[in-house]
Amino acid sequence: MVKIRLLEYEAKDVFAEFDLPLVHRLVIMKGEDVQEKLNQFNFPAIVKSQIAIGSRKKAGLIKIIQTREEAVSLCKDYFTRKVGNYEVEAILIESLADIKHEYYCSIALDTSGRQFVLIASAEGGIDIEEVAATRPEAIIKETISLIDGLREESAKKVAERLGFSGDLVDSAKDLFLKLWKITTEKEAQLVEINPLVLTPNGLFAVDGKMILDDNAVFRQETIQELQKRKLSDLEKTAKQFGFSFVELEGQIGILANGAGLTMALLDVLAQHGLAGMNFLDVGGGADKDRVYEALKLIFTMKPKAVLINIYGGITRCDVVADAILHTLKEFPEAPPMVIRLTGTKETEGVKILNDAGIDAYKDMMAAVEKLKGVIG
Amino acid sequence: MYISENSRVVVQGITGNQGKFHTQLMKEYGTNIVAGVTPKKGGQEVLGVPVFNTVQEAVQERGADTSIIFVPARFSYNAVLESLNAGINMTCCITEGVPVLDMLRLVELAHSKELHLIGPNSPGMLIPDKIKLGIMPSDMCHFGNVATIAKSGTLSYEIAKALGNADVGVSAYIGIGGDPIRGTTLVEAFDYYAAKDDNTDIIVLIGEIGGDEEEKVAAYIEEQNINKPIVAYIAGKSAPEGKRMGHAGAIISGNVGTAQGKIDALAAVGANIAETPWDIPGMVKEFL
Repeated sequence: MVKIRLLEYEAKDVFAEFDLPLVHRLVIMKGEDVQEKLNQFNFPAIVKSQIAIGSRKKAGLIKIIQTREEAVSLCKDYFTRKVGNYEVEAILIESLADIKHEYYCSIALDTSGRQFVLIASAEGGIDIEEVAATRPEAIIKETISLIDGLREESAKKVAERLGFSGDLVDSAKDLFLKLWKITTEKEAQLVEINPLVLTPNGLFAVDGKMILDDNAVFRQETIQELQKRKLSDLEKTAKQFGFSFVELEGQIGILANGAGLTMALLDVLAQHGLAGMNFLDVGGGADKDRVYEALKLIFTMKPKAVLINIYGGITRCDVVADAILHTLKEFPEAPPMVIRLTGTKETEGVKILNDAGIDAYKDMMAAVEKLKGVIG
Repeated sequence: MYISENSRVVVQGITGNQGKFHTQLMKEYGTNIVAGVTPKKGGQEVLGVPVFNTVQEAVQERGADTSIIFVPARFSYNAVLESLNAGINMTCCITEGVPVLDMLRLVELAHSKELHLIGPNSPGMLIPDKIKLGIMPSDMCHFGNVATIAKSGTLSYEIAKALGNADVGVSAYIGIGGDPIRGTTLVEAFDYYAAKDDNTDIIVLIGEIGGDEEEKVAAYIEEQNINKPIVAYIAGKSAPEGKRMGHAGAIISGNVGTAQGKIDALAAVGANIAETPWDIPGMVKEFL
């Protein structure tokens, strides 16, 4: 399950659509004329790289700039930056806010509580988690019934508890109600403003985060658009075929089904001094194409060996076995494979492989021992 | 959990590939499948099972009281809604990827009607030798006194099978499902087998990294003073720390969710922690 995290500028586009108070801003996409774009903007300003990593400030990817000339050269520099697999795809430039105070607010899904929660604090900013851990009384939480929605009086109460008075109570209340509107209309699991700043001109959302529910993709245009975003080739294949896929540090390619079993498998390998090159959960009910594409993806990573571990429930071992044979025909130079098949149609699956002269194990530990032999 | 060999099962989505395939396997297991439902396909028969247009008809004509759902995610909300509105006591949703907002509404509705919902993205439930309401392999284990409660699907098959191979009997197997919002939480399932099910003497709990449900089970064990022996396994010890859900996740539930955090919480309330899935049968046997 891939969660869809919006970059700050994408979240702010949504905020703007719902009329949340934002400071003056400009977005420059990679490939656009930086000089020309910046001609429309007044300095000093804050220049923020849009990249899917945390602590951008620490990495030097957010800076306050005094002049347009500095901004042009900084933007050009930012567009060459790469952190891990991520590149700076866009830059957000914003006017500086005259900050009197920083607040925190969000609406977040509490999965185990099965409810949404409006969370707010008068002690916003980067240390909010520490505030939550050391002084929980400084965090206000208001649960929201999906059937009733966020009530106006609840939103107002939270605004008052934050210490607002006069017109600011209404601005904060409206802002919370808009966060709820975004949550339900865009199907978000998180809408976060940190910090929400108080200036002489009122409240402004200075940083924004959103996570959308990718399960709702079939009815959400915003999610469909975001899924077209630039991905690495590996991620593209994974997304296209619905694999959960994570690159790891080791040398053994892993194809398994079920997130829990795949994780347990990696844990057991680690206990035996073996390290997986990837986490790949091929998903429930995998058909021939999905197994083929998963193996192809793993082969491109050039593993020393590949471990296939399928416990069929809704997935059928005979289908997987056919797919393995089909793939091997196309990749005669494939790395050595250790295969373990059990569960639904296991007898048929094992027979298909054995008939083609390929060993298949029913027992996991036997497969791990075999793998140790193959790796040497 | 709220099912037995007397349950009368309706399969929603019986005319689809998965629905038909697993209807066959459940029937072979001995599950009493009394009806199928696919809108606009009423009047047909699938594997000898009469198909109706609505769950309501399946209840009226065939006395269905339990449902299992195999319809695509975009239709799951309506399928579950129909099942709840028809008064089906236990609805099991196999479908993966049901949107969060749909699930939150359905959970609120199920609670208000005092009906039971499991899943989505669940492998279902099994009472060995009695009823299979799900997609788990049929030959994992036989009936006994050890309940197996799992967050994940395939990993729990592995463990149920290891129990069966070691000749340990299972009172019930339940997979609560992998989607973010679940009809039955880990704590609710645990509560049933720890406090309400007389067939269960020992509980095997299979958790994994993420969320705070295992920590909540640990708190429940302490509050309710549960004495049944518990063997727990948590997957994901070697997983790299994932990306975090903004600050809100940590604010809601504190800094929980790591494998070690869950292991520590469960060990602190007396649960026996298995190093690997294959250590579980041996550990369970010590309590038999």
